[in-house]
Amino acid sequence: MLTVEQNEELTRVGPGRPMGDLLRRYWYPIAFEQDFDATPSKTVRLLGEDWTLYKTPSGRYGIIAEHCPHRRASLTYGVVHPDGIRCGYHGWKFGFDGQCLEQPAETESSNFRDRVRAKAGRAEPLGGMVWVYVGPEPAPLLPRFDVYVLDGVRDIGYTTLPCNWLQIMENAVDPHHVEWLHGYYFEFLGQIGGFEAPKSFQKKHVKVAFDEFEFGIIKRRVLEGHSDEDDDWKIGHPLVFPYCMRVGGMWVDQMQIRVPIDDTHTWKLFYTLHHPEAGTWERQDRPVVYEFPWRRDDGTLITDYVEGQDIMAWVSQGPIVDRSTEHLGRSDAGVALLRKLFKENMQLVRDGGDPLGTVRTPHEIIELPCERDKFGAGTAFTDQWIKGGSMRYAPIRDELLALHRDAAQARARAAAGG
Amino acid sequence: MAETGLPADPHRLPPPGEWFAPDAERHLLDRPRFCPMCGAALERGMVCESWSGAQRNFMTWCAACSWMGDVVRYDRVAISEQHR
Repeated sequence: MLTVEQNEELTRVGPGRPMGDLLRRYWYPIAFEQDFDATPSKTVRLLGEDWTLYKTPSGRYGIIAEHCPHRRASLTYGVVHPDGIRCGYHGWKFGFDGQCLEQPAETESSNFRDRVRAKAGRAEPLGGMVWVYVGPEPAPLLPRFDVYVLDGVRDIGYTTLPCNWLQIMENAVDPHHVEWLHGYYFEFLGQIGGFEAPKSFQKKHVKVAFDEFEFGIIKRRVLEGHSDEDDDWKIGHPLVFPYCMRVGGMWVDQMQIRVPIDDTHTWKLFYTLHHPEAGTWERQDRPVVYEFPWRRDDGTLITDYVEGQDIMAWVSQGPIVDRSTEHLGRSDAGVALLRKLFKENMQLVRDGGDPLGTVRTPHEIIELPCERDKFGAGTAFTDQWIKGGSMRYAPIRDELLALHRDAAQARARAAAGG
Repeated sequence: MAETGLPADPHRLPPPGEWFAPDAERHLLDRPRFCPMCGAALERGMVCESWSGAQRNFMTWCAACSWMGDVVRYDRVAISEQHR
Protein backbone atom coordinates (compact mmCIF):
# COMPACT_ATOMS: atom_id res chain seq x y z
CA MET A 1 0.00 0.00 0.00
CA LEU A 2 1.16 3.50 -0.83
CA THR A 3 -0.26 6.94 -0.17
CA VAL A 4 -2.18 8.53 -3.03
CA GLU A 5 0.59 11.09 -3.22
CA GLN A 6 3.26 8.39 -3.72
CA ASN A 7 1.09 6.71 -6.32
CA GLU A 8 0.77 9.96 -8.25
CA GLU A 9 4.51 10.48 -8.17
CA LEU A 10 5.18 6.98 -9.49
CA THR A 11 2.64 7.03 -12.31
CA ARG A 12 2.57 10.52 -13.87
CA VAL A 13 4.83 10.62 -16.91
CA GLY A 14 4.29 14.13 -18.30
CA PRO A 15 6.98 16.82 -18.52
CA GLY A 16 8.01 18.33 -15.20
CA ARG A 17 6.81 15.37 -13.14
CA PRO A 18 9.54 13.44 -11.27
CA MET A 19 8.72 10.21 -13.11
CA GLY A 20 8.42 12.11 -16.39
CA ASP A 21 11.90 13.55 -15.86
CA LEU A 22 13.31 10.08 -15.15
CA LEU A 23 11.62 8.40 -18.12
CA ARG A 24 12.89 11.10 -20.47
CA ARG A 25 16.42 9.78 -19.91
CA TYR A 26 15.78 6.68 -22.04
CA TRP A 27 15.30 5.74 -25.69
CA TYR A 28 11.92 4.33 -26.77
CA PRO A 29 10.74 2.47 -29.88
CA ILE A 30 7.78 4.42 -31.15
CA ALA A 31 7.23 3.30 -34.78
CA PHE A 32 8.23 0.66 -37.31
CA GLU A 33 10.47 1.36 -40.30
CA GLN A 34 7.69 0.38 -42.71
CA ASP A 35 5.49 3.15 -41.30
CA PHE A 36 7.48 5.54 -43.49
CA ASP A 37 7.27 3.63 -46.77
CA ALA A 38 4.18 5.48 -48.02
CA THR A 39 4.41 8.81 -46.16
CA PRO A 40 7.51 10.41 -44.65
CA SER A 41 5.96 11.60 -41.39
CA LYS A 42 3.57 10.44 -38.69
CA THR A 43 2.25 11.66 -35.37
CA VAL A 44 3.40 9.71 -32.34
CA ARG A 45 2.55 10.21 -28.68
CA LEU A 46 5.15 9.60 -26.01
CA LEU A 47 5.26 10.51 -22.31
CA GLY A 48 2.13 12.61 -22.58
CA GLU A 49 3.32 14.73 -25.50
CA ASP A 50 2.52 14.66 -29.22
CA TRP A 51 5.41 14.52 -31.64
CA THR A 52 6.00 14.48 -35.39
CA LEU A 53 8.36 11.70 -36.38
CA TYR A 54 9.75 12.04 -39.90
CA LYS A 55 12.19 10.43 -42.30
CA THR A 56 14.21 12.37 -44.86
CA PRO A 57 14.81 11.13 -48.43
CA SER A 58 18.34 10.10 -47.39
CA GLY A 59 16.94 7.91 -44.60
CA ARG A 60 17.66 10.07 -41.57
CA TYR A 61 14.97 10.24 -38.90
CA GLY A 62 13.96 13.29 -36.88
CA ILE A 63 11.45 13.99 -34.12
CA ILE A 64 9.97 17.37 -33.26
CA ALA A 65 7.04 18.57 -31.12
CA GLU A 66 4.00 18.16 -33.33
CA HIS A 67 2.63 21.70 -33.21
CA CYS A 68 4.49 24.45 -35.06
CA PRO A 69 5.69 27.21 -32.71
CA HIS A 70 4.28 29.77 -35.18
CA ARG A 71 0.52 29.19 -35.09
CA ARG A 72 0.33 25.60 -33.83
CA ALA A 73 -0.53 23.72 -37.01
CA SER A 74 0.59 20.09 -37.13
CA LEU A 75 4.06 19.54 -38.52
CA THR A 76 3.06 15.97 -39.40
CA TYR A 77 1.41 17.54 -42.46
CA GLY A 78 4.62 19.37 -43.31
CA VAL A 79 7.24 19.04 -46.04
CA VAL A 80 10.25 16.85 -45.25
CA HIS A 81 13.62 18.22 -46.39
CA PRO A 82 17.11 16.67 -46.19
CA ASP A 83 17.91 19.01 -43.28
CA GLY A 84 14.61 19.06 -41.39
CA ILE A 85 10.90 19.68 -41.78
CA ARG A 86 8.84 22.63 -43.01
CA CYS A 87 5.37 23.51 -41.70
CA GLY A 88 2.73 23.17 -44.39
CA TYR A 89 0.81 26.21 -43.14
CA HIS A 90 3.28 29.14 -43.58
CA GLY A 91 6.49 27.38 -44.53
CA TRP A 92 8.52 27.78 -41.33
CA LYS A 93 11.37 25.32 -41.52
CA PHE A 94 13.05 23.56 -38.57
CA GLY A 95 16.32 21.65 -38.33
CA PHE A 96 16.77 18.31 -36.57
CA ASP A 97 17.58 20.11 -33.33
CA GLY A 98 14.32 22.11 -33.54
CA GLN A 99 16.01 25.40 -34.46
CA CYS A 100 13.90 27.51 -36.81
CA LEU A 101 15.87 27.91 -40.05
CA GLU A 102 13.46 29.79 -42.30
CA GLN A 103 10.39 32.03 -42.00
CA PRO A 104 9.53 32.78 -45.63
CA ALA A 105 6.91 35.47 -44.92
CA GLU A 106 9.22 37.49 -42.66
CA THR A 107 11.69 40.01 -44.02
CA GLU A 108 15.12 38.69 -44.89
CA SER A 109 16.73 41.10 -42.42
CA SER A 110 14.63 39.90 -39.47
CA ASN A 111 16.43 37.73 -36.94
CA PHE A 112 13.12 36.50 -35.51
CA ARG A 113 13.89 32.93 -36.61
CA ASP A 114 16.96 32.83 -34.38
CA ARG A 115 14.69 33.25 -31.37
CA VAL A 116 12.38 30.36 -32.25
CA ARG A 117 13.22 26.79 -31.37
CA ALA A 118 10.79 23.88 -31.27
CA LYS A 119 11.16 21.04 -28.79
CA ALA A 120 13.03 18.26 -30.59
CA GLY A 121 14.73 14.96 -29.85
CA ARG A 122 16.78 12.30 -31.56
CA ALA A 123 15.59 9.38 -33.66
CA GLU A 124 17.40 6.27 -34.92
CA PRO A 125 16.38 2.92 -36.42
CA LEU A 126 17.33 -0.36 -34.74
CA GLY A 127 15.95 -3.85 -35.25
CA GLY A 128 13.22 -2.68 -37.62
CA MET A 129 11.86 -0.12 -35.17
CA VAL A 130 12.37 3.63 -34.97
CA TRP A 131 13.64 4.74 -31.55
CA VAL A 132 13.47 8.21 -30.10
CA TYR A 133 15.06 10.13 -27.27
CA VAL A 134 13.29 13.28 -26.09
CA GLY A 135 15.26 14.07 -22.92
CA PRO A 136 18.03 16.50 -22.12
CA GLU A 137 21.43 16.49 -23.82
CA PRO A 138 23.91 14.89 -23.87
CA ALA A 139 21.76 12.01 -25.07
CA PRO A 140 22.86 8.53 -23.99
CA LEU A 141 23.56 5.89 -26.64
CA LEU A 142 20.75 3.71 -27.90
CA PRO A 143 21.38 0.36 -26.15
CA ARG A 144 21.80 -2.44 -28.67
CA PHE A 145 20.25 -5.25 -26.64
CA ASP A 146 20.80 -8.76 -28.00
CA VAL A 147 17.31 -9.46 -29.37
CA TYR A 148 17.44 -6.38 -31.60
CA VAL A 149 20.77 -7.19 -33.25
CA LEU A 150 21.20 -10.97 -33.34
CA ASP A 151 20.40 -12.84 -36.54
CA GLY A 152 17.18 -14.84 -36.68
CA VAL A 153 13.51 -14.66 -37.61
CA ARG A 154 11.72 -11.78 -35.90
CA ASP A 155 8.09 -11.10 -35.27
CA ILE A 156 6.60 -8.16 -33.41
CA GLY A 157 3.08 -8.29 -31.99
CA TYR A 158 1.79 -4.95 -30.76
CA THR A 159 -1.28 -3.27 -29.34
CA THR A 160 -2.24 -0.18 -27.35
CA LEU A 161 -3.59 -0.73 -23.85
CA PRO A 162 -5.71 1.72 -21.86
CA CYS A 163 -3.65 1.62 -18.69
CA ASN A 164 -0.57 3.10 -17.06
CA TRP A 165 2.75 1.46 -17.95
CA LEU A 166 3.78 0.94 -14.30
CA GLN A 167 1.14 -1.67 -13.54
CA ILE A 168 2.48 -3.67 -16.49
CA MET A 169 6.01 -3.31 -15.15
CA GLU A 170 4.95 -4.47 -11.70
CA ASN A 171 3.70 -7.66 -13.31
CA ALA A 172 7.27 -8.32 -14.42
CA VAL A 173 8.45 -8.69 -10.81
CA ASP A 174 5.49 -10.79 -9.72
CA PRO A 175 6.53 -14.39 -10.48
CA HIS A 176 3.68 -16.03 -8.57
CA HIS A 177 1.11 -14.76 -11.04
CA VAL A 178 2.43 -17.26 -13.59
CA GLU A 179 1.26 -20.39 -11.76
CA TRP A 180 -2.14 -18.82 -11.10
CA LEU A 181 -3.01 -16.66 -14.08
CA HIS A 182 -1.28 -18.77 -16.75
CA GLY A 183 -1.54 -22.07 -14.86
CA TYR A 184 -4.60 -22.49 -12.70
CA TYR A 185 -6.85 -19.93 -14.47
CA PHE A 186 -5.76 -21.13 -17.93
CA GLU A 187 -6.58 -24.70 -16.88
CA PHE A 188 -10.02 -23.55 -15.68
CA LEU A 189 -10.66 -21.83 -19.01
CA GLY A 190 -9.57 -25.00 -20.80
CA GLN A 191 -11.95 -27.13 -18.79
CA ILE A 192 -14.96 -24.91 -19.44
CA GLY A 193 -13.94 -24.10 -23.01
CA GLY A 194 -12.99 -27.59 -24.10
CA PHE A 195 -9.34 -27.01 -24.95
CA GLU A 196 -6.02 -28.23 -23.58
CA ALA A 197 -4.28 -25.56 -21.51
CA PRO A 198 -0.45 -25.55 -21.53
CA LYS A 199 0.98 -27.44 -18.57
CA SER A 200 4.37 -25.76 -18.31
CA PHE A 201 2.92 -22.76 -16.46
CA GLN A 202 1.21 -24.80 -13.74
CA LYS A 203 4.20 -25.67 -11.56
CA LYS A 204 4.17 -24.19 -8.04
CA HIS A 205 6.77 -21.67 -6.97
CA VAL A 206 9.00 -22.91 -4.16
CA LYS A 207 11.08 -19.75 -3.89
CA VAL A 208 11.68 -16.52 -5.76
CA ALA A 209 14.42 -13.90 -5.54
CA PHE A 210 15.26 -10.52 -7.02
CA ASP A 211 18.74 -9.10 -7.58
CA GLU A 212 19.46 -5.60 -8.77
CA PHE A 213 21.97 -5.41 -11.64
CA GLU A 214 23.28 -2.79 -14.06
CA PHE A 215 20.17 -2.85 -16.29
CA GLY A 216 17.40 -3.53 -13.77
CA ILE A 217 16.33 -6.51 -11.70
CA ILE A 218 17.09 -10.20 -12.26
CA LYS A 219 14.12 -12.34 -11.33
CA ARG A 220 14.75 -15.91 -10.19
CA ARG A 221 12.46 -18.77 -9.30
CA VAL A 222 12.60 -22.39 -8.19
CA LEU A 223 9.56 -24.38 -9.20
CA GLU A 224 8.25 -27.55 -7.60
CA GLY A 225 10.46 -30.49 -8.63
CA HIS A 226 13.30 -28.19 -9.65
CA SER A 227 16.45 -27.02 -7.89
CA ASP A 228 18.90 -24.16 -7.56
CA GLU A 229 20.82 -25.73 -10.45
CA ASP A 230 18.05 -25.07 -12.98
CA ASP A 231 18.20 -22.10 -15.35
CA ASP A 232 15.13 -20.45 -13.78
CA TRP A 233 17.16 -19.90 -10.62
CA LYS A 234 20.79 -19.98 -11.74
CA ILE A 235 20.31 -17.51 -14.59
CA GLY A 236 16.78 -16.10 -14.27
CA HIS A 237 15.68 -13.27 -16.52
CA PRO A 238 15.75 -9.50 -16.23
CA LEU A 239 13.34 -6.66 -15.88
CA VAL A 240 15.11 -4.11 -18.05
CA PHE A 241 14.62 -0.78 -16.32
CA PRO A 242 12.47 1.19 -16.76
CA TYR A 243 10.04 -0.24 -19.32
CA CYS A 244 10.99 -3.71 -20.61
CA MET A 245 11.29 -7.32 -19.60
CA ARG A 246 13.53 -9.84 -21.35
CA VAL A 247 12.28 -13.42 -21.41
CA GLY A 248 13.12 -16.47 -23.42
CA GLY A 249 13.69 -20.16 -23.66
CA MET A 250 14.81 -22.72 -26.24
CA TRP A 251 16.12 -20.06 -28.65
CA VAL A 252 12.97 -17.99 -28.57
CA ASP A 253 14.21 -14.69 -27.16
CA GLN A 254 11.77 -11.93 -26.47
CA MET A 255 11.77 -8.36 -25.26
CA GLN A 256 8.46 -7.34 -23.78
CA ILE A 257 8.25 -3.59 -24.32
CA ARG A 258 5.89 -1.22 -22.51
CA VAL A 259 6.16 2.28 -23.95
CA PRO A 260 4.46 4.93 -21.78
CA ILE A 261 2.32 6.84 -24.29
CA ASP A 262 0.81 8.93 -21.51
CA ASP A 263 -0.49 8.43 -17.97
CA THR A 264 -3.25 6.06 -19.05
CA HIS A 265 -2.04 4.44 -22.28
CA THR A 266 0.79 2.04 -23.03
CA TRP A 267 2.10 0.79 -26.36
CA LYS A 268 2.72 -2.90 -25.73
CA LEU A 269 5.07 -4.85 -27.97
CA PHE A 270 6.34 -8.40 -27.95
CA TYR A 271 9.58 -8.33 -29.95
CA THR A 272 10.54 -11.95 -30.55
CA LEU A 273 13.65 -13.42 -32.08
CA HIS A 274 13.61 -17.05 -33.23
CA HIS A 275 17.09 -18.48 -33.80
CA PRO A 276 17.07 -22.17 -32.87
CA GLU A 277 20.36 -24.02 -32.81
CA ALA A 278 20.62 -26.20 -35.94
CA GLY A 279 17.78 -24.22 -37.52
CA THR A 280 17.95 -22.62 -40.96
CA TRP A 281 16.17 -19.49 -42.13
CA GLU A 282 16.30 -16.84 -44.81
CA ARG A 283 17.59 -13.45 -43.83
CA GLN A 284 14.75 -11.04 -43.07
CA ASP A 285 14.84 -7.44 -44.30
CA ARG A 286 12.44 -6.38 -41.58
CA PRO A 287 10.58 -8.06 -38.74
CA VAL A 288 7.07 -9.33 -39.38
CA VAL A 289 4.75 -6.86 -37.65
CA TYR A 290 1.14 -7.49 -36.63
CA GLU A 291 -1.44 -6.10 -34.23
CA PHE A 292 -2.84 -8.74 -31.89
CA PRO A 293 -6.39 -8.58 -30.47
CA TRP A 294 -7.21 -8.62 -26.77
CA ARG A 295 -10.82 -7.45 -26.72
CA ARG A 296 -13.89 -8.74 -28.55
CA ASP A 297 -16.41 -6.51 -30.32
CA ASP A 298 -18.75 -6.78 -27.32
CA GLY A 299 -16.03 -5.38 -25.03
CA THR A 300 -15.21 -8.61 -23.20
CA LEU A 301 -11.56 -9.57 -22.93
CA ILE A 302 -9.94 -12.46 -24.79
CA THR A 303 -8.30 -14.55 -22.09
CA ASP A 304 -7.58 -17.89 -23.73
CA TYR A 305 -3.93 -17.04 -24.41
CA VAL A 306 -1.08 -16.06 -22.10
CA GLU A 307 -0.71 -12.38 -22.94
CA GLY A 308 -4.49 -11.96 -23.12
CA GLN A 309 -4.58 -13.13 -19.50
CA ASP A 310 -1.92 -10.60 -18.52
CA ILE A 311 -3.81 -7.87 -20.34
CA MET A 312 -7.00 -8.84 -18.50
CA ALA A 313 -5.17 -8.26 -15.23
CA TRP A 314 -3.52 -4.97 -16.25
CA VAL A 315 -6.55 -3.39 -17.89
CA SER A 316 -9.02 -4.54 -15.25
CA GLN A 317 -6.85 -2.89 -12.58
CA GLY A 318 -8.06 0.42 -14.04
CA PRO A 319 -6.35 3.20 -16.04
CA ILE A 320 -4.07 3.85 -13.04
CA VAL A 321 -4.10 1.33 -10.19
CA ASP A 322 -5.18 2.94 -6.93
CA ARG A 323 -2.29 1.71 -4.80
CA SER A 324 -3.73 3.38 -1.70
CA THR A 325 -6.33 0.60 -1.57
CA GLU A 326 -4.15 -2.39 -2.49
CA HIS A 327 -3.02 -5.05 -0.01
CA LEU A 328 0.41 -6.45 -0.71
CA GLY A 329 1.62 -9.72 0.80
CA ARG A 330 5.15 -10.97 1.33
CA SER A 331 5.04 -12.55 -2.13
CA ASP A 332 4.88 -9.01 -3.54
CA ALA A 333 8.40 -8.13 -2.41
CA GLY A 334 9.50 -7.69 -6.02
CA VAL A 335 6.81 -5.08 -6.58
CA ALA A 336 8.03 -3.10 -3.57
CA LEU A 337 11.62 -3.40 -4.77
CA LEU A 338 10.72 -2.04 -8.20
CA ARG A 339 8.95 0.96 -6.65
CA LYS A 340 12.03 1.65 -4.59
CA LEU A 341 14.17 1.46 -7.73
CA PHE A 342 12.00 4.06 -9.44
CA LYS A 343 12.15 6.37 -6.43
CA GLU A 344 15.90 5.94 -6.16
CA ASN A 345 16.43 6.82 -9.81
CA MET A 346 14.07 9.79 -9.71
CA GLN A 347 16.31 11.07 -6.94
CA LEU A 348 19.44 10.36 -9.01
CA VAL A 349 18.08 12.39 -11.92
CA ARG A 350 17.08 15.22 -9.59
CA ASP A 351 20.66 15.24 -8.30
CA GLY A 352 22.04 15.49 -11.84
CA GLY A 353 23.18 11.89 -12.27
CA ASP A 354 22.61 9.26 -14.95
CA PRO A 355 19.89 6.79 -13.97
CA LEU A 356 20.16 3.01 -14.00
CA GLY A 357 20.90 1.47 -17.38
CA THR A 358 22.20 4.64 -19.03
CA VAL A 359 24.61 3.62 -21.79
CA ARG A 360 27.38 5.97 -22.84
CA THR A 361 30.02 3.48 -24.03
CA PRO A 362 29.96 2.55 -27.74
CA HIS A 363 29.15 -1.14 -28.18
CA GLU A 364 28.04 -3.68 -30.77
CA ILE A 365 25.72 -5.70 -28.57
CA ILE A 366 24.54 -5.87 -24.97
CA GLU A 367 23.81 -9.45 -23.99
CA LEU A 368 21.28 -9.87 -21.22
CA PRO A 369 21.15 -12.88 -18.89
CA CYS A 370 18.17 -15.08 -19.69
CA GLU A 371 17.38 -18.72 -18.97
CA ARG A 372 17.46 -21.20 -21.86
CA ASP A 373 15.57 -24.13 -20.36
CA LYS A 374 12.33 -22.46 -19.30
CA PHE A 375 10.25 -24.11 -16.55
CA GLY A 376 12.07 -27.37 -17.37
CA ALA A 377 9.69 -27.80 -20.29
CA GLY A 378 12.28 -28.37 -23.04
CA THR A 379 11.10 -28.06 -26.64
CA ALA A 380 7.44 -28.32 -25.55
CA PHE A 381 7.86 -24.79 -24.21
CA THR A 382 8.46 -23.38 -27.69
CA ASP A 383 5.38 -25.07 -29.06
CA GLN A 384 3.19 -23.96 -26.16
CA TRP A 385 4.48 -20.40 -26.27
CA ILE A 386 3.84 -19.94 -29.99
CA LYS A 387 0.42 -21.61 -29.90
CA GLY A 388 -0.69 -20.34 -26.50
CA GLY A 389 0.67 -16.79 -26.59
CA SER A 390 0.17 -13.68 -28.71
CA MET A 391 2.37 -15.30 -31.38
CA ARG A 392 -0.65 -17.39 -32.31
CA TYR A 393 -1.77 -14.26 -34.20
CA ALA A 394 1.53 -13.94 -36.10
CA PRO A 395 1.07 -14.19 -39.88
CA ILE A 396 4.11 -16.52 -39.86
CA ARG A 397 2.93 -18.70 -36.96
CA ASP A 398 3.08 -21.96 -38.92
CA GLU A 399 6.52 -21.09 -40.30
CA LEU A 400 7.75 -20.42 -36.77
CA LEU A 401 6.43 -23.74 -35.50
CA ALA A 402 8.10 -25.52 -38.42
CA LEU A 403 11.38 -23.66 -37.86
CA HIS A 404 11.60 -24.84 -34.26
CA ARG A 405 10.33 -28.35 -35.00
CA ASP A 406 12.85 -28.87 -37.83
CA ALA A 407 15.67 -27.47 -35.72
CA ALA A 408 14.79 -29.79 -32.82
CA GLN A 409 14.87 -32.77 -35.21
CA ALA A 410 18.22 -31.65 -36.60
CA ARG A 411 19.62 -31.36 -33.06
CA ALA A 412 18.30 -34.80 -32.21
CA ARG A 413 19.91 -36.27 -35.35
CA ALA A 414 23.20 -34.59 -34.53
CA ALA A 415 23.06 -35.88 -30.95
CA ALA A 416 22.41 -39.38 -32.24
CA GLY A 417 25.47 -39.11 -34.42
CA GLY A 418 23.55 -38.93 -37.67
CA MET B 1 -12.51 7.71 10.04
CA ALA B 2 -12.10 11.38 10.83
CA GLU B 3 -9.51 10.36 13.38
CA THR B 4 -7.37 13.27 14.41
CA GLY B 5 -3.67 13.28 13.78
CA LEU B 6 -3.74 12.09 10.19
CA PRO B 7 -0.69 13.41 8.36
CA ALA B 8 -1.25 15.64 5.41
CA ASP B 9 -2.26 13.86 2.26
CA PRO B 10 -3.32 15.94 -0.72
CA HIS B 11 -6.08 13.52 -1.60
CA ARG B 12 -9.22 12.25 0.03
CA LEU B 13 -9.19 8.93 1.83
CA PRO B 14 -11.79 6.37 0.82
CA PRO B 15 -15.19 7.29 2.35
CA PRO B 16 -15.87 5.99 5.88
CA GLY B 17 -17.38 2.53 5.83
CA GLU B 18 -15.73 1.58 2.57
CA TRP B 19 -13.70 -1.61 2.62
CA PHE B 20 -10.25 -0.12 2.35
CA ALA B 21 -10.80 3.01 4.43
CA PRO B 22 -9.46 1.70 7.77
CA ASP B 23 -6.33 0.25 6.13
CA ALA B 24 -5.64 3.41 4.16
CA GLU B 25 -6.06 5.49 7.30
CA ARG B 26 -3.80 3.24 9.38
CA HIS B 27 -1.24 3.40 6.59
CA LEU B 28 -1.12 7.19 6.81
CA LEU B 29 -0.90 7.07 10.60
CA ASP B 30 1.58 4.26 11.07
CA ARG B 31 4.03 4.36 8.20
CA PRO B 32 7.54 5.31 9.28
CA ARG B 33 8.34 8.95 8.72
CA PHE B 34 12.03 8.93 9.59
CA CYS B 35 14.85 6.62 8.57
CA PRO B 36 15.73 4.08 11.28
CA MET B 37 19.37 4.37 10.23
CA CYS B 38 20.12 8.08 9.83
CA GLY B 39 16.95 9.77 11.04
CA ALA B 40 16.31 11.69 7.82
CA ALA B 41 12.69 12.35 6.82
CA LEU B 42 11.38 9.65 4.49
CA GLU B 43 9.31 12.01 2.35
CA ARG B 44 11.80 11.66 -0.49
CA GLY B 45 12.28 7.96 0.19
CA MET B 46 9.92 5.05 -0.20
CA VAL B 47 7.60 3.35 2.27
CA CYS B 48 5.61 0.45 0.84
CA GLU B 49 3.35 -1.51 3.17
CA SER B 50 2.69 -5.24 3.00
CA TRP B 51 1.09 -7.75 5.33
CA SER B 52 2.04 -11.18 6.76
CA GLY B 53 -1.10 -12.27 8.53
CA ALA B 54 -1.84 -9.49 11.02
CA GLN B 55 1.73 -8.25 10.90
CA ARG B 56 2.32 -5.04 9.02
CA ASN B 57 5.62 -4.61 7.19
CA PHE B 58 6.88 -1.33 5.77
CA MET B 59 9.57 -1.84 3.15
CA THR B 60 11.51 1.34 3.67
CA TRP B 61 14.15 3.03 1.56
CA CYS B 62 15.89 6.21 2.69
CA ALA B 63 16.92 8.64 -0.04
CA ALA B 64 19.45 10.27 2.27
CA CYS B 65 21.54 7.26 3.33
CA SER B 66 20.20 4.53 0.97
CA TRP B 67 19.24 2.27 3.90
CA MET B 68 16.71 -0.30 2.78
CA GLY B 69 14.87 -2.75 4.99
CA ASP B 70 11.60 -3.67 6.63
CA VAL B 71 10.13 -1.78 9.54
CA VAL B 72 7.59 -4.07 11.18
CA ARG B 73 4.69 -2.85 13.28
CA TYR B 74 3.12 -5.20 15.81
CA ASP B 75 1.09 -4.95 18.97
CA ARG B 76 2.03 -8.34 20.35
CA VAL B 77 5.32 -10.19 20.30
CA ALA B 78 4.66 -13.76 19.23
CA ILE B 79 6.82 -16.63 18.06
CA SER B 80 5.17 -19.19 15.82
CA GLU B 81 6.24 -22.85 15.78
CA GLN B 82 7.74 -22.59 12.32
CA HIS B 83 10.12 -19.85 13.43
CA ARG B 84 11.39 -21.53 16.59
